Amino acid sequence: MATQSSSAVIDGPRGRQSFFEAQRRNRHATWRLSTVCVLAAVVMGIPLALAVTPLLYAAALLIADLINIWVPLPASLWQHANELAHYGSVALASLTQSNAANPQALVIGAAVLLLPGAVLSIVLWLGVNALFRRAGAGGALLALQAREPNPSELKELQLSDVVQEMAIAAGIPAPKIMLIDTSAANAAAIGTSPNDARIVVTRGLIDQLNRDELEGALAHLVASIGNGDLRIAFRVAGVFETYGLLLALINAPFGPRARRTLWRIVRYSLIGKKHAEASAAEAAAVADLLTRGAAMETDDIDDFFNTTARRKSVLRSIRNFLFFPIFLTNFAIKLSLWFFSFSILEPSMALLWRKRKYLADASAVQLTRNPDGLAEALRKLNDTRRAIPGGAWAPHLFLVNPAGSDRMDDPRANALHQQMLAQMWTSSQPASGSALSGPPSNLASFPSVMSDIFATSRQAIAGDPNAAARMMAFRQAAADALGKPVNDLPNLSDFAAAQNGDKASIQRLSAFRKQISADSSDANSTRSADSSLNFAGFFPSLKRRLRRLDRMGAHVELESARVKPAAVIFIAVLSLVLAPFALLALGLLLLLIGILMLASLAFLAVWMAFIHQLFLMFVHR
Amino acid sequence: MSNLSLIVVGLVAATLLLSFIAIFNSLVALRLRVQNAWSDIDVQLKRRHDLIPNLVASVQGYMAHERSTLDAVTEARAKAVASAGGTVAGRAQAESALSGALSNLFAVAEQYPQLRAVESVQLLQEQLTSTENRIAFARQHYNDEVMKFNTAQATFPRNLFAALFGFSPAVMFAAQESERANVNVPI
Repeated sequence: MATQSSSAVIDGPRGRQSFFEAQRRNRHATWRLSTVCVLAAVVMGIPLALAVTPLLYAAALLIADLINIWVPLPASLWQHANELAHYGSVALASLTQSNAANPQALVIGAAVLLLPGAVLSIVLWLGVNALFRRAGAGGALLALQAREPNPSELKELQLSDVVQEMAIAAGIPAPKIMLIDTSAANAAAIGTSPNDARIVVTRGLIDQLNRDELEGALAHLVASIGNGDLRIAFRVAGVFETYGLLLALINAPFGPRARRTLWRIVRYSLIGKKHAEASAAEAAAVADLLTRGAAMETDDIDDFFNTTARRKSVLRSIRNFLFFPIFLTNFAIKLSLWFFSFSILEPSMALLWRKRKYLADASAVQLTRNPDGLAEALRKLNDTRRAIPGGAWAPHLFLVNPAGSDRMDDPRANALHQQMLAQMWTSSQPASGSALSGPPSNLASFPSVMSDIFATSRQAIAGDPNAAARMMAFRQAAADALGKPVNDLPNLSDFAAAQNGDKASIQRLSAFRKQISADSSDANSTRSADSSLNFAGFFPSLKRRLRRLDRMGAHVELESARVKPAAVIFIAVLSLVLAPFALLALGLLLLLIGILMLASLAFLAVWMAFIHQLFLMFVHR
Repeated sequence: MSNLSLIVVGLVAATLLLSFIAIFNSLVALRLRVQNAWSDIDVQLKRRHDLIPNLVASVQGYMAHERSTLDAVTEARAKAVASAGGTVAGRAQAESALSGALSNLFAVAEQYPQLRAVESVQLLQEQLTSTENRIAFARQHYNDEVMKFNTAQATFPRNLFAALFGFSPAVMFAAQESERANVNVPI
């Protein structure tokens, strides 16, 4: 019976730093960092707006010209357009010339250059947020493979009980629980707000942790939901999706990929899907397309202008020449996005998210009043496989870094394999429960089935007739289940023959082993690299998390691995030497981006003037 | 000039009014949270009352010799249910008596290995453990909310207005003496 909670209420914190203090500090830190992130997003938006605005003007001019053919537009409209262009050029000129122009003209010019792009970006951001709110952030792919916990199974009942308890302790509505059948141990909180939050837990997690540790792990997730992390994650994802959407819009005239992405968004936003699950999956797929679009990947526009791949022709050259400004704009946008996200946005966001993790840890201690549970859970999870397919899409929502392991495999296929094997083993069991195979194997505990099989086969080879009969029964069941003739599967005599070097037997054995190892490798946990190696990672290192928990009273043994002073000095000197070069490189990149922007602007202006003149000639004739 | 000073005075007054409203609203919100946390405890106590008859029914067959222990639980439950309309102190007394009877039942049940092996009993025990935890966590949440509420009232600038608006500190939920005695069993 767990009565630890009622006593802990009275005890209060034992640590050197109370969890209230830890929460307060981390909360303040996240406020500061989110200000930095918002600033970074705004700074990132400036070149974007600067690049998008001319395209908007160009489109507007084109439309106006087209309308002008049939319905002559009033002269005052063209007059206003001219004035706008004048202000814009004044603002641009003041960039290159040091003599300050009329400040009022400068402000208007800046507004003319920035406002349309900024407004478009914000509208798109709001649209993206509204669109994906229905589907929930990130974890939609995860939820697809999950099922609800079974309340008549002790461990799974315990899971839902613990989540309920933590929700009560946090004073939030209890999140829905989804269970994934995989031996990897990890858990995540997904959703957009406390009201639609879901907690995804793997079977491996509840198998490996005891009740206290489970409580600590789930308290972290519930606390994270209660602290509003989901909303933050959702907004941040929205920023990247907006960048992707803008790029897709610019690319749309040039290629099928961007058009397909746009078409999927339009279709999804208008129709949606009948089933909530399919809808969530579609949303996740679309969001994935958008975020990948914002990354530096080759896309339609590169194919479009890639003349070496296709045969050259005069027409193509003319077309390329005509569309060159847009290509330049696209490239400038991508470069600036990449530059700013790499240098400012991503590091500050990673830092912010790590602080949110510490905050959730401290809040978890407030909920459980038991820092040891969480500390032990983190330590255990760090030593096991924790990668979950579908988790790569929203890795930041997890309790521990799901990318810690190098192997990614499909848990559904894996679980199916495992279930099949376990079923074969149990179904082939003699009806009169023989003492040899022990109690009926539980389908859920795949590792025990595997060890059972291996033990029995060893006994059979050693000459135990009971074990041999058991293995033969299993062989028959496997042949039935796989739909293969019995003789294709390795025989007991094969083992003996293989030991004597019979090639056919060895081949048959290795084929069978390959099939089984595909199933059993899941059971062998692979120790993975520490995530602390990743400088800009979204997860604090285990050591730091444990140290903070230790300060709040957890009994953890921290290896006092003091960094050698020589190493510190070396790094300091190295960074002092390298810093000017890095700064120089950054400055050069910024300059390049600026030049690209200006060049694309100039090209676009010339191009539009040319087209406009053509239209005018056409109209006047 | 008087125009300008009028605007300044108006702005200051508006700021003051807005901050009054903000302070008042935040205190009201905190008080609501405290009340909500208090009613959450009731919900969990009610849940325990509903669960106990099931538990007693399912272990009765195995524990025929422990009539008195089972009767004590049933009786304590009846008293706790009856006290639901009464005073807070009376309720706390009855509920902690029920907690004591339940932990006694589990201590006795430990002596019946065949009982521990039954899966349905294990599930039930888990449910009861969870119910006890839920009550404890609901109290803890209540106390946390009370602390937030009281801290808000005691710190600047809200302390200037808390009494003015008619707010008074809420009372923490202290454990009963009998419960404390239960918890401090030498290990």
